[in-house]
Amino acid sequence: MDAILQVNQLTGGYSPRRPVLHNISFQVKAGEMVGLIGLNGAGKSTTIKHILGLMKPQIGEIKVDGATLEEETEQYRASFAYVPESPVLFDELTVEEHLRLTGMAYSVNDDQYGARAEELLEQFQMLPKRKAFASHLSKGMKQKVMIMNALLADPPLYIIDEPFLGLDPLGIRSLLDRLVEVKRKGAAILMSSHILSTVEAYCDRFIVMHHGQIAAQGTLDDVRQAAGTEMRGGSLEDAFYKLVTGGHR
Amino acid sequence: MGAGHELEAIWSRRAKDFREQSLPYFRYMGQSGFPAFMSLILISSAIGYITLVRQLPANFPVAATGVISLTLVLCWSPLRTWLAAGDTVFMMPREADMDGYLRLSFRYTTVGCSILAAIVLLLYLPIYNQGPAISGGWLLAMIAAGLKAGNVWGAWRERQMTWPGMRRLMRLTRWALTALIVAAWLTCLVWQAALFSILVCLSFLLAHRLPSRHRLPWERLIYEEARTRKRYYVFFGLFIDVPTLPSSTARRSYIAWLLRVVRYSNRNTFVYLYTASLIRTEIGGIVIRLLLLGCLVIYWFADAVSLSGWGSVLVYGLFMSVLSVQLGGLRHVHRYSVWKHVYPLPEKQRAEQYLKVDRLTMLVCSMLLWLFAALPLVMSSYYLPAAAAAAGALAYIAIRPSRLRKRMQKEMDEE
Repeated sequence: MDAILQVNQLTGGYSPRRPVLHNISFQVKAGEMVGLIGLNGAGKSTTIKHILGLMKPQIGEIKVDGATLEEETEQYRASFAYVPESPVLFDELTVEEHLRLTGMAYSVNDDQYGARAEELLEQFQMLPKRKAFASHLSKGMKQKVMIMNALLADPPLYIIDEPFLGLDPLGIRSLLDRLVEVKRKGAAILMSSHILSTVEAYCDRFIVMHHGQIAAQGTLDDVRQAAGTEMRGGSLEDAFYKLVTGGHR
Repeated sequence: MGAGHELEAIWSRRAKDFREQSLPYFRYMGQSGFPAFMSLILISSAIGYITLVRQLPANFPVAATGVISLTLVLCWSPLRTWLAAGDTVFMMPREADMDGYLRLSFRYTTVGCSILAAIVLLLYLPIYNQGPAISGGWLLAMIAAGLKAGNVWGAWRERQMTWPGMRRLMRLTRWALTALIVAAWLTCLVWQAALFSILVCLSFLLAHRLPSRHRLPWERLIYEEARTRKRYYVFFGLFIDVPTLPSSTARRSYIAWLLRVVRYSNRNTFVYLYTASLIRTEIGGIVIRLLLLGCLVIYWFADAVSLSGWGSVLVYGLFMSVLSVQLGGLRHVHRYSVWKHVYPLPEKQRAEQYLKVDRLTMLVCSMLLWLFAALPLVMSSYYLPAAAAAAGALAYIAIRPSRLRKRMQKEMDEE
């Protein structure tokens, strides 16, 4: 499988004197869903900001679909869709106008756009809200709009930060179903979340971040091994707990 | 200190904070030449007013002038409460003690509004006295005071209403009834006007008993406070960079069809976004209002062929410059948007697409305003001023994109 996202020896942060991330390396391959987990302040969002190109690496390199931001800016940006932790929408656009804007920005074919937009509106139970302004939506609905926009773009890589916050159970189900579907079609997904049971159930591999470093990465067995819980088995949550607290309660 | 007094102290501290926050901006405004401009307007208005009062035309609409001017100042009843979103958490538990807090708000805003109403009434009286003057000045002042009190009460009751539709209906009713009562006192005999006023007030009181209400309309008061604060900052924003507050949007269906005209294409992504922002944000509202006012004023000047037609050209230039400043604000709307970095579009393309929206809007506005100057002028055979206005506008529209481009580059470098 090809690596869609490659993060190589990334060191970065807000100030060169005090980097937040220390020598981070990982990959997300096509047809793979990777869970990025860690405590608050572990560096998950900073990692995502570096991938988005909102922050510049101090050391290291990031490639999306083989392109770096500096060398092939447009190809790099066209290769991923991003769902932020807090929905960031345009107050002056309605739900369907957001979809149209995303379709234009990501050059979604005119013929496919209409059918895909309708399908997403229906799947995320947003048909009655298609003409509503973003400012009139609840937080969960705003999050749905963000997710629908990402799915409409249909890129090789999805970067999803805390997608379940505020989503209703039907929304969570629709999102997970769609993620499984796009994964099956060959998309790579990097998903950050605190809901470890869902991450465990849906992700193929995991990256555990702690204090700006990767404490463990790989399959559930790899993470258990790094935590020293491989003999006892147990869930991702048990291994995670061990990794971030050193086993001290 | 009692619970109520603590809240009153919070009110005073918030009022002081707002004064301290806005004082530096008033200073910038003072340095900008705006006061000189306003003084000029004031002096010319004063001269116009005195001339009018000295030689009031025989067919001057005395009653209509009174109804319009007095209704506006009597009905307008804002309320500064300094309440903010966090107050639903921190102040709401003290709702029972809020009477003193709100009393201060009422006193603060009503005094200002009443002074304004008194000034308008005083300015109107010399005109009124030249008409039939049925009721006399003192009686009119008493009626105005009563109507002001009634409007402050009515506006508060509207704020308390649960349903926005009902609130809007009652506000419309209040404005209409105030206009009718003022009209009655200006045109009818005293007993007729008194009888009419009593009947109207009683039915208005009865109508107010029906709608469902909140005891204290927290959300409404917070919304109104945020709106007022934003208006201050929009005003200060004309002179200096101000903190950005979340902008409000309006649907504006009557013009939103323009958005559907933008062709679905990657090349038009930011044309689409900036067109939506122009149509639906406050900038669009300001541009539309300026355009309507501009058309009216320019038409008056052109129709009267003031200064051999050059008066309308001057006013045209004035409106064009105000419009161009307001429209320039559009480039700041998505200044800090994360999407402009995330979308797979080059920065240069964003700037060029923004300029496209700006140029087209300027062109449409200038043509529309020009028509209101040119048509009356041409019909009166004054061709040169009309041609000069067109040439000036076209020259400005030609050089505006390169000026804006430079300014945007400078702003980007500063960021």
